[in-house]
Amino acid sequence: MTEQAVPGEPDRAPEPAGDVDGEAILAVRDVAKHFGGIHAVDGASFEVRRGSITALIGPNGAGKTTLFNIVTGFQRGDRGEVIYDGASIFRRPPHVIARRRMVRTFQITKALAAMPVIDNMTLAAPDQPGEKLTGLIFRAPAARRREKEVHERAHELLDVFGLREKADDYAGTLSGGQRKLLELARALMVEPRLVLLDEPMAGVNPSLGRKLLDHMHTLRDRDGVTFLFIEHDMDVVMAHSDEVIVMAQGATIASGPPEEVRNDRAVIDAYLGASVA
Amino acid sequence: MTPLAVSLDVFGSLDFWIGVGLLAATYGIFTLGLQLNVGFTGVINFGQAGFMAIGAYTMAILVVEAEISFWLALGASILVAMAAGLIIGLPSLRLRADYFAIVTIAFAEIIRYTAVNARELTGGSQGIGGFDGAFLDLSDLMLEGLDSFGLGDQFLLPLLIVAVAVFGLLTVGMYFLQRSPWGRVLRAIREDEDAARALGKNAFAYKLQSISIAAALGAVAGWFLALNLAFISPTQFDPLFTFLGFAVLILGGLANYFGVILGAIILWTLLEGLRLMDLPLDASQTAALRYVLVGLVLIGLMAFRPQGMLGKRQEMVLGD
Ligand SMILES: Nc1ncnc2c1ncn2[C@@H]1O[C@H](COP(=O)(O)OP(=O)(O)O)[C@@H](O)[C@H]1O
Ligand SMILES: [Mg+2]
Repeated sequence: MTEQAVPGEPDRAPEPAGDVDGEAILAVRDVAKHFGGIHAVDGASFEVRRGSITALIGPNGAGKTTLFNIVTGFQRGDRGEVIYDGASIFRRPPHVIARRRMVRTFQITKALAAMPVIDNMTLAAPDQPGEKLTGLIFRAPAARRREKEVHERAHELLDVFGLREKADDYAGTLSGGQRKLLELARALMVEPRLVLLDEPMAGVNPSLGRKLLDHMHTLRDRDGVTFLFIEHDMDVVMAHSDEVIVMAQGATIASGPPEEVRNDRAVIDAYLGASVA
Repeated sequence: MTPLAVSLDVFGSLDFWIGVGLLAATYGIFTLGLQLNVGFTGVINFGQAGFMAIGAYTMAILVVEAEISFWLALGASILVAMAAGLIIGLPSLRLRADYFAIVTIAFAEIIRYTAVNARELTGGSQGIGGFDGAFLDLSDLMLEGLDSFGLGDQFLLPLLIVAVAVFGLLTVGMYFLQRSPWGRVLRAIREDEDAARALGKNAFAYKLQSISIAAALGAVAGWFLALNLAFISPTQFDPLFTFLGFAVLILGGLANYFGVILGAIILWTLLEGLRLMDLPLDASQTAALRYVLVGLVLIGLMAFRPQGMLGKRQEMVLGD
């Protein structure tokens, strides 16, 4: 790769992340993606600090979801580079990226509706030898042991998210808000280092929404999980994020602490006339 | 005999039930593969008759032309069918589900036309026989044993016993496979492939495994079809048979392996009963009536029990 330094962020060293606290767990450099004539993402560059809660904001159609798709491997970027945990994941397939413990949720919730809640959870656990046919045959005891651990962990998380009594119900019977919680709980089963949430609060009633935000802080504080979330509600963004990245028309136009970004001229301009909601 | 009399004598004969049992077991095994693909993976396979043909022809050709041991030929035919599953899956399983369905129909027809035209190997539309010597030896042994129960003259009974035993074992095997973590990933892919991928599952690899296991089941069904008739020819692998498999699947219910047993018995009792009943109709009318009746049963089922006999209504409703 001979991609040049990032035009959008001249003053931040694009260092690959080590394990030192405060370094970038994710670095996106000059990523672009077009659909026909639409430049959905057009030179996006930013970093996400390890252990941070970072918000990605921008008007509708700014390219936030597309950027998530490129970072998580669901769409192929046209150009650019994505460094995660010190290695390039650009254009790698989604399951490979997820196995490196980067997990995402979707703007439109993907609860596995015709599967019970508990299966939604246990499914997500990594390192289950019984997920391979060879493992089922040759590592049956290990698979059984792992299955027990995974069930315990799933029940713990369902407890935390208030979904314990729903464990045996089909996920399709949950309310919209509960599905969002389930999707987050399920993501945590992956034992992630970085969680990407695409509009986690959309369509969630305020009390469930608060719960979701509380979980986010707890997980960050207790387990050091990093969060990058797309959010439209400015109050939520200002109150809950350490860093804010602003996108407009496919490019990242600003980033920094919430107060700083709020007063940024370019950000105010980008939002003028564009719907924030 | 009055013109409207319908004789039900046929249902009282052992021959009839042996025949039905053999067909039900054969197409039951066939449909286990469809259940795996359609019911549990969300992959639409319209080419199961093609895998059945590959199983039957590989076995027959290896025994008759290459003079390989019958038992080895059975194993080889499974491998060839699985390889065929991989070959059609590799380029097309990444496509949308409906494209894959079309590819599988085309595949099965290519196999059938090849069987018609590769006369040297397959005997063309004349077909191929003489591959079942080794099985008949086993069958004779079993008949000696059956003789003590007064069943020594039921010449297809040994094959029925073997077919039912294999069908039973495979059904239970598939049931347990589905309850494993492996089966859980398949169900997740059926529900939402992207969700599964976002959780680290290689959906494509699982779909390939699903299709090649279904191909293996199709091949096993092919053996029993071939042994039942002692002879195979291309017409036995008409796409119609794949759709009969789907009828079994829908009758029994999606996403339930035991439903396949029920569906297979009901469908073949119906089809064979109508064929052999003394109806005041000529042969072509009876043949048409069979499928009319299957259609009516399916329509009735859709109206009153759309999830099939053992399917779960909730899964069906929530699935979309
Ligand atoms: N698959 C696609 N095909 C064509 N256009 C797309 C596709 N996905 C997104 N777009 C377009 O790309 C732009 C960015 O979309 P998106 O990333 O969803 O924005 P955001 O999430 O910020 O609202 C929009 O103009 C959208 O219409
Ligand atoms: Mg979006």
